[in-house]
Amino acid sequence: MEKIIYAILDKTWRRRAVVIITLILLGASLMMIPTKLVMAKMLPGKSANTFSIYVDTLTNSSILQTQELTECIEDSLIKEKSVVDLEVYLGQGAPLDYAGLVKGSDFKRMQYQAEIVVNLTHKNTRDEPSFLLIHRIRPLIQNKCASIVPGSTIRFVEMPSGPPTLATIVVELYGTDDKLMRETAEKIAKVFEQTEGLVDIDIMQDSIFSKYELAPNKEKIMGSGLSVEQVNNIIYLAFKGMSIAVKNTRDQQDQIPIFVRLSEETRGIVSNSKEALATKLSALKLMNKMGMMVPLKEVVDINMVKSSPTIFRKNLANMVTVTAECDMVSQVYPLLDAREKLQEILANDFNVTNVPMMSTYMFDLNLKSKDSGEKLLLRWDGEMKVSLDTFRDLGGAFIAALVLIFLLIVIYYRSFALSGIVLAGCFLSIIGVISGHWLSDKIQLIFTGSNFFLTATSLIGFISLMGISARSSLLLIDFSRSLIAKGMDVQRAIAVATATRSKPIMLTAIAIILGSLLLATDPIFGGLGVALIFGSIAATLVSLFFVPVLMYKTKAMLWLKKDEDKEECFSDE
Amino acid sequence: MKIYKANNIAGYLAQAFLKNPLTMIFGISIILLGYISLIVMPREEDPQIAVSGGSVIIALPGATPQEISNVIIKPLERRMNEIKGVENIYGTAMNNVGMVNVQYYIGEDREASNLKLYDKVMQNMDSLPMGAMRPLIKPFDIDIDIPILSVAFFKLEDEKIDNIKLYKTIRDLQQEINGLDDVSKTILKGAKRPQFNVMIDLDKLSSFHISLGQVAQSIQSISKNSPEIDVPTQNNELIVFGVKNAIEDIDDLKDLIIAQYRGSVIYLSDISEITYNYDIQNFQKVLLSYRDTNGEFRKAGDQLTLTVAKLKGTNAVTIADEVIKKIRESKEELQAQGVGYIVTRNYGIRANEAVNELVHHLVITIFIISLILIPFLGWRESLVVTIAVPMILALTLFIAYMTDQTINRITLFAFLLSLGLIVDDAIIVIENIHRHMHLAKSKFQDFDHLIVEATDEIGPSTNIATIAIILTMVPMAFVGGMMGQFMLPIPLNVPVALAVSLFVAYVFTPYLAKKLMKHKYKECELPGAENIGVFRNLSCKLENYLSVLLRKCSWSIKKWKK
Repeated sequence: MEKIIYAILDKTWRRRAVVIITLILLGASLMMIPTKLVMAKMLPGKSANTFSIYVDTLTNSSILQTQELTECIEDSLIKEKSVVDLEVYLGQGAPLDYAGLVKGSDFKRMQYQAEIVVNLTHKNTRDEPSFLLIHRIRPLIQNKCASIVPGSTIRFVEMPSGPPTLATIVVELYGTDDKLMRETAEKIAKVFEQTEGLVDIDIMQDSIFSKYELAPNKEKIMGSGLSVEQVNNIIYLAFKGMSIAVKNTRDQQDQIPIFVRLSEETRGIVSNSKEALATKLSALKLMNKMGMMVPLKEVVDINMVKSSPTIFRKNLANMVTVTAECDMVSQVYPLLDAREKLQEILANDFNVTNVPMMSTYMFDLNLKSKDSGEKLLLRWDGEMKVSLDTFRDLGGAFIAALVLIFLLIVIYYRSFALSGIVLAGCFLSIIGVISGHWLSDKIQLIFTGSNFFLTATSLIGFISLMGISARSSLLLIDFSRSLIAKGMDVQRAIAVATATRSKPIMLTAIAIILGSLLLATDPIFGGLGVALIFGSIAATLVSLFFVPVLMYKTKAMLWLKKDEDKEECFSDE
Repeated sequence: MKIYKANNIAGYLAQAFLKNPLTMIFGISIILLGYISLIVMPREEDPQIAVSGGSVIIALPGATPQEISNVIIKPLERRMNEIKGVENIYGTAMNNVGMVNVQYYIGEDREASNLKLYDKVMQNMDSLPMGAMRPLIKPFDIDIDIPILSVAFFKLEDEKIDNIKLYKTIRDLQQEINGLDDVSKTILKGAKRPQFNVMIDLDKLSSFHISLGQVAQSIQSISKNSPEIDVPTQNNELIVFGVKNAIEDIDDLKDLIIAQYRGSVIYLSDISEITYNYDIQNFQKVLLSYRDTNGEFRKAGDQLTLTVAKLKGTNAVTIADEVIKKIRESKEELQAQGVGYIVTRNYGIRANEAVNELVHHLVITIFIISLILIPFLGWRESLVVTIAVPMILALTLFIAYMTDQTINRITLFAFLLSLGLIVDDAIIVIENIHRHMHLAKSKFQDFDHLIVEATDEIGPSTNIATIAIILTMVPMAFVGGMMGQFMLPIPLNVPVALAVSLFVAYVFTPYLAKKLMKHKYKECELPGAENIGVFRNLSCKLENYLSVLLRKCSWSIKKWKK
């Protein structure tokens, strides 16, 4: 060891070679990110024992239609061996979980909504991870069942491995013109459908359907001695029903309501038409103040109208949301694909401009309609936004950590140059982090057929690696300086110090690598484990070969920790 | 002999604890405290994320979404936007009802946020539009809202029980479960509540010339409950009497006289079908299919799901166990009534599995690390590290317990992550003691002094290096958003673990080295020499032997001189 370092330090070209090799490796590993050799994702999927299916049929579907659809799904699911039991929640959300909390499962109470909770056998006894199972059955179920009620969406919701988001890919379309927004949202959804890797596409808005409006004819109502309120109440009581009184009970925890409605046979309307409704209404009679019976049909006019869909708003502007999930791929690349396609397609009707300035909203698009001049804002939210925010914050934390280490070492050594060496050593562990991810990706592709992503936890690993490499460099510098102070020649001192310190440095690295082996097998913290394993290999190599070369050229190494050397310290800058 | 004088904190600590008889007791109690913490700390699968927010729901019957949006949502949104700390405001305008969801920045204090929300709505009650109903304010509460346990109760094959009976049975069970410690909210999903259904035949209604309004009025008029009346008697005693509710059972409803038609009395049962059944207007239902013991799927039809949530900061594992125990107690009773049950969600088990699995990983990793140190440092040195690491983890865990953290996956990942970092300090100290032991000059040095000197020597650089690592973790505590909250146990625990590792390295490593290692001069290594490793060559052994001999000789010579 000592001889190798001494030899390297001996010749200028050897020293240069070390520096150049390091820089090439750094460049090559950094290039792996834009060239998609290593792909980024916030958090990978994890195998779970349960997943949910959200079913939304058309807004005016009955609970029976919804149930027909869920039964179809049920029939497909029970063929799966790993399914243990399933609960179908019709007209409501399943018991709340973390995913449901942000996906609005608590607010579901309409006939067109349903959720299915599927429990699987324990993940340790099951060969197929839940995300692969979903990947396999998703197209089967969607092709078979979605057509039962046209326009339905069936979404598969996995247990999030980290904090939950509304969906992996969320496009929020802000504007004031509801019609334009509705049309644009449909275009976006179509683009998503054509984008590879995107599934479970859903536009979060009510479908528009025809309905009938009973307009009370005020003159006729007054003329026949009725009141508008009476008309409203009776119509509601007759067809929808009301609990008009309650009875307290001794042996139950609830009051027992008395519910009044027309009987099933007489309530039903033959068909969905104006005439059928009119016939039914003429059979229902009201009693006026004089005790005379007035048919309901006489006092109301029936009009056919379009339903008014629910209006969604976010931060004081009207909004339509389009969501999509990523099927086993990182959300970054489908998003960029879809965005490119969107820019192309929307350019037919809009002037599309990018949002200026770098921010976590940097993918947003400003749309200005060519016809009406109406402005829309297309905003990307969901996991992408959370990832960008997290990566930004972690990046900030990383820079803060760098600055703190730098300051600490400047205080300790009173030399900027030595601090610079330590920092360079810290930063270079990125070579190992990135190439380690590339390697793990390849290995995992062979064994499980799924990708291994650079995740937020990889960044955490990288940040903690910095501390470790800082420690190695510090120990090296400290030891070399004390040897030089004892009068040893610089080249020899560095070589001896590196050789002596290589033992604890390598021991530490081995301890970290072994400590992280089990981490690396975890779905969420795999990134952290891989970052630590390969990062510490790189960090060890860097501190054993690269740092000595840098030290050799640094004059600050020669100083003893004496106060009179203070002035020199600054002149060296 | 020269007495080594410590000149930094590392040396002082090593010196102070090296011969202190309490060090052993101190060490054992640390391990015990850590173990107790591991047992009693509340366990969760994922750490709690402090999400504050709430929804305000205002109903305006008969209004269209456009109207709701203009009169309710827009003014309400403006008011909500005045609150500090609000990140997003979501408005939903439906037919008849408007809802505004307020979402605070992650990490905002929940109680304060809820108070601000109430306050804002209450202040503006006067500007509610005419006809609007009282606003309903529902703050989010993850602890209470997310159940840790859900149990599906269903009808067994023989169909002995109907929906109402099932509901009544489970409702009673729910009451008992709610009485258990630390259980907060329990909900029944898919409940079919009992009610009297009066299904009026429209055709009969018209043939008897009765209006619906009449029917409703006559039912309402007899189902009045009134409080009891007390009147004093002449002897100043109280005489109590009350009017009984005229509707006692289904027959009272059937015999209700609605009107007279052509001289004959018309009862309610003449124009309608009256049943005592469940709430037929409620379209919500929950269905269950499960794999029975033969592996065949059975569609069990309507089921009732009981969900149980826990209070904040309590142990999901024990609560889930308690509840299941309670249900199991009444299993036979349920079975006799024709009710079966399946646990469909148990976060308690999941939390326990996750925690146990990771603790298992921790133990394995410590074991592997200590094994790998043996060829490099020798088994005694490796043993010192193997004892030091659990001590560090135990003390860190105890500190985490004292600061009201829970034990969850992320906490344990923080431990796994810190494992690689905390062994360092112990390794550096032990390695330096090891190195000093084999230095030529220390051959005649007292072992205690050697240990103090070795610890003292690496003090400054170890301090600075450990502080550097702590500094890298600290900024992570300021990462915002859900992810920041989710990862929070890492920046909370890793720096603590590192600081503790420094303390243990200075206090217990020298102590353990003194107890476990033997100052035998058996090696002939020099700093920088390359013969470190498993294989020690023969000449080295010979030299050792000679040096021991030499030492013994010089010792006896010294004695003889005296």
